[in-house]
Amino acid sequence: MNLRKLYENLTCHTLLTNTTNIKVRMRRIHFRIMIGVLLFYAFYPLTWFLFRRPSEALKRSVPQSVNGTTVWDGDTVTLGSTQSETTMQDQSGETKERLKEPVPQKNIQSPNTDEENLSAVLQKDMRIDAAAETTEMQTTLEEEREDPKMGDGEKVVFRDVIHDSQNEKEISTSSGDNVDVLLKYPTLEGSMEKTNCPEKNQSKTENSKEMLQASNADTSKSPDECWDDYIVTTGNPLLSNSQTYLKIDEQHDAQTGWHFPVGPGLAQEVFCPQWSFPASSYYTTVEPTVPFEVMWRVWEDLDADSESVLTPITIKKASLDFTVMSYNILAQDLLELNQHLYAHCPLEMQQWSYRCNLLLNEIEKWAPDILCLQEVQENHYHEHLHPLLSQMGYTCVYQRRTGTKTDGCAVCYQGSRFAEAAVSKLEFFRPETGLLDRHNVGIVLLLRPLVTTEAEVKEAGPSLCVANTHLLFNPRRGDVKLAQLAIMLAEIDAVIKSCKARGEHCNVVFCGDFNSVPHLPLYQFITTGELSYQGLPTWMISGQEDLSYKPSYHRLFAPLWPSSLGISDTCQYTANINKTQSQNSGTRGYSHEFMLQLRFCPAACVRPENLALIPGVTDSKPDTSEDAQHYEKRFRDRLRHQVDLESVYKHVLPGSGCPEVTTLHSEGGTTVDYIFYSPKRTLTKKQRAYKTSAGKGLKLVGSLSLLSEDFLWSMNGLPNHILPSDHLSLVARFQLELDDA
Amino acid sequence: MNNKFDALKDDDSGDHEQDQGSPKDSEKEKPEEDDKEQNIIKKKMVVPGPGEHPLQYNYTFWYSRRTPGRPASTQSYEQNIKQIGSFASVEQFWRFYSHMIRPGDLTGHSDFHLFKEGIKPMWEDDANKMGGKWIIRLRKGLASRCWENLILAMLGEQFMVGEEICGAVVSVRFQEDIISIWNKTASDQATTARIRDTLRRVLNLPPNTIMEYKTHTDSIKAWEDFHGLVNASGGR
Repeated sequence: MNLRKLYENLTCHTLLTNTTNIKVRMRRIHFRIMIGVLLFYAFYPLTWFLFRRPSEALKRSVPQSVNGTTVWDGDTVTLGSTQSETTMQDQSGETKERLKEPVPQKNIQSPNTDEENLSAVLQKDMRIDAAAETTEMQTTLEEEREDPKMGDGEKVVFRDVIHDSQNEKEISTSSGDNVDVLLKYPTLEGSMEKTNCPEKNQSKTENSKEMLQASNADTSKSPDECWDDYIVTTGNPLLSNSQTYLKIDEQHDAQTGWHFPVGPGLAQEVFCPQWSFPASSYYTTVEPTVPFEVMWRVWEDLDADSESVLTPITIKKASLDFTVMSYNILAQDLLELNQHLYAHCPLEMQQWSYRCNLLLNEIEKWAPDILCLQEVQENHYHEHLHPLLSQMGYTCVYQRRTGTKTDGCAVCYQGSRFAEAAVSKLEFFRPETGLLDRHNVGIVLLLRPLVTTEAEVKEAGPSLCVANTHLLFNPRRGDVKLAQLAIMLAEIDAVIKSCKARGEHCNVVFCGDFNSVPHLPLYQFITTGELSYQGLPTWMISGQEDLSYKPSYHRLFAPLWPSSLGISDTCQYTANINKTQSQNSGTRGYSHEFMLQLRFCPAACVRPENLALIPGVTDSKPDTSEDAQHYEKRFRDRLRHQVDLESVYKHVLPGSGCPEVTTLHSEGGTTVDYIFYSPKRTLTKKQRAYKTSAGKGLKLVGSLSLLSEDFLWSMNGLPNHILPSDHLSLVARFQLELDDA
Repeated sequence: MNNKFDALKDDDSGDHEQDQGSPKDSEKEKPEEDDKEQNIIKKKMVVPGPGEHPLQYNYTFWYSRRTPGRPASTQSYEQNIKQIGSFASVEQFWRFYSHMIRPGDLTGHSDFHLFKEGIKPMWEDDANKMGGKWIIRLRKGLASRCWENLILAMLGEQFMVGEEICGAVVSVRFQEDIISIWNKTASDQATTARIRDTLRRVLNLPPNTIMEYKTHTDSIKAWEDFHGLVNASGGR
C-alpha cells in the first residue's frame, strides 16, 4: 500500500515542488532515510520483481503521466516495466548534454546577452533544482506515511496502474535494493523539467547526497546508451496510450518494423520495414519481448467537435478538399553553423542526404496539395528538392533570402489541383526604411482550384491565396517582425482585393515560421486583426524569450515604420487604398481609414490663413499629443489588418492540455510555426471581415497532431531518426466550397 | 419673417432654414468681411497643394448659430450663416476640421454645414430645390463621432451615388442633435435608398435608429404654413 501512496505522491509532485519550507524538510531528511531503510525491508519481496524486470521504464512512465501528457492503462505498466534499467541513465545522460548547451547557444543567438547574466541564471536554476529535488524526495517519503491530499480525478487512473504493479509484486521474489528504486522516483520526476536533472546528480547538496547515494548505483551507470532511451520511451507511451493511439491492438502483431498512421482517421497505415535498429550490443539489457512499434503523429479529424468554430455544414455546393503542409526543414548550413543546438543528434542523422530522404518520405506520406517550406537551402532546392518534388507533381516557387544566408522559402503546389494566377516574391530588406534591414523573405501565391468535369479540367472559384514566410528570428526585434509581417499582410490584402475587383471571394492560407509564440502580441495581431503596441517592449512582441530582466530594452512607439514604406497601419498598400475604394474610374474615393491617416499630417496641422477666428467655433487646435478624443488615439497607436485569420492548431494537445511544440533543439521547445487560414464563420465579424466573406471561407476538416516537448525528448530530440528537422511539419486539411460553375 | 427662428427651432434638421422672404439682394447687407471672403472664394477656386490628396469635389464649411437674446426677426437666415472656408484635398479638409470645435462641444443652437463648393446650404439653391435629406436624430453625446464619420464618407465618395450628394449638416439642439445629408433628387428612390444604406454602415448606427427622409419642398411648405400662420396672426 505504501507503494500506492508513492504513486499518488508522484501525481501531485508538481505542486509540491514549489513548497517553500525546504529547510524544515532538510532537517527531516535523515528521519526519512530511516523510514526508507524500513521500507527497504518492507518491500523486500517486491524488489525481486524490480530487479529482474528493471523498473526504470516504469518510473519513466510515471513522470510522463504526472506531467499530464497521457492517460495510462494498467497494461502500460506491465509493458513498460519490462524495459531496461538504462532508461533513466540515458535520460540523465541526455539531459546532461542538453544542460551544457545553453551558454554557447545564447552567445550565438543573441550576441548581446552577457554571459554573466546567463551563468547567474544557470546557477540559480541549479540551486533551485537541488532544492526542488530535496523537496521532492522528502515529500515522497513523507507521504508514504501520511495520506496525500489530492484531487480524485487524477488518482483514478493511477490506481489502475498500481493495482497492476502490485499484482506483479506477488509473483516476484526478493532481491536487490528496492528502496533505492523508490527513492529515485522524485529524481526522475525532476528530469521532467527537461533541463536540470543531471545537474542535480552532479551538484548534489550535502543533504541530498546521502539520499542519492543509494541510487547512485543506478544513476552512475553508463549514461551514453542513448539508443535504449529512445526505444524505450517511444515504445512506451505509444503502446500505452490507448486514447490517442487508436490502433494499438493491431500494432502488437507487427514486430519487424514501424507503422505509421496515414490519412484521415488513420484509415491507412504505412509499414516501414527498412528501419533497422542499431547493433544489438546496445540492447543487452533489453528483453526482446517488447514490440517496436512507433506511432508518432496522429491525424485528427475535426468534423464534429469543432463546430463551435466552424459553420455547420450543409453541403449543397461542390466542394474541394485540399491539404496544406508547412515545414521548416532546417537548412543544412544553419545546422552546421549551430552545431551546439543539435549535439544530441548523431552525426549521420545530420547529413543532408539522410534528412532529405526522411523529408521526402514525410511529404509523400501526407501528400499535401500545397507545401510551404522554410529554410530551403538554395543548392539543395535546385539539386534535390525541386527535381524530386517536380517528379511528385509539384510546381514550385522559390525565393532565397537576400544577404549572405543561403536558404529561403518555397511554395509548392500540385499542378493537377491548382493553377497559378499570380506570384509575388517579397523581400523584406528595404534599406531605405531603417527598420527593415534584415534579410527575410516571403512568397504570396494566388491559386485557382482545378476541377475535373467530364474529361475537362477547368479552373473554378473561389481563389486561394497561399502565403509563406519565415520572419526574423532575433527575439529582441519584435518591431522588425511586425514590419515584415505587415509587408506580408499588405500583399495578401492586395491579392484579396484583386479578387474582389473581379467580384470573387478569396480564401487565405498563411503559413510559415513566424518566430513568435502563441498568444503574444504578434500572434494576437494576426488572429485578432488589431494590436495596440504603444509602449510595448520589443522583445515581448514575439515572446520567444523573456528579456524583461535586461536593464534596458526598446519599446514600440508610433509610427512603427515611415509612410515611405507605402504600407498603412492597416497593413495595406497606401497606393491601393485609393484605387480599391473608387468604384467608377476617375472617382477619387478614400476610405475612412485612409482619411484618418492624414489627420495629423504636417499640412493638416497648419491653421488655414483665411479661417476667421470665431470663439467657441473655430478656435480649436489639432494638438496631436492631446488627443482628447479617445477614438483618435486608438487609431494612432494601433496596428490593424483586415485579413480574417485563425490558427489551425490551438497550441495545446487535445486531451492532456500539454503545450504543443513545433520546434525543439537543445535550448528547448516551443511553438513558432503556424498555419493560419480564413475560416468559415457563421456571422461576419462586423468590423473587420470583408463584407463578402459571410458564409464563405475555409472549413478545417483535419490536422496532423503536434507533439509535446517531453515526447520529442523521448525520441532523442530533434532532428532524429524519423524527423529530419528541428521543426515539426504542420499539416492541415481544408474544405473549400466551390462557386457554381 | 418675424418668427423665422421659431420655425427653425421646430424644424428637425435645423439648418435648412432659409429666409424665404428675404430677397437675394439682402446678401449685400452682410458684413464686409463675409462678403470679401466670399468674393475671394468665388474668384479663386481652391486647389489641392502639391502632393496632397485631391478630393473629387471641393467643399465649403459653413457655420450658423441662432444668436441668443436678439429678436430673430431682425436677422435673415443668410445673415446668420457664415462661410468658414473651402478646401480641395484631404489635407486641406483636416486643416479646417482640426481647427474647428467638434459639434458635440458647440454651445447653443448651432449648426455646421459642409456643402460642395458652389452649393449654398439652402432649400432654394438650384442644386437643392428638387432635393431632400435623410435625417437622423441622435441622443446627446454621439454627434461628434457621427458627424465625423458622415463627412469622411461623403468626402471620400463612399456613397456611390454619382453627383447626387449636395452636403451634410449637423444641428446642435437642446436635448438632441440632428445630422442630415442632402441630395439633389428627392424622387430618385434608388439613390435615396443607397444613401440610407451607406449611412447605416458608415455611422455604425444601432439597428433601431429611426431615419427619416424629408423632401425640401415639404420642408418649405411646412415652414411656409407655419410662417403663414404666424404672419396671419402677427398681422404683418
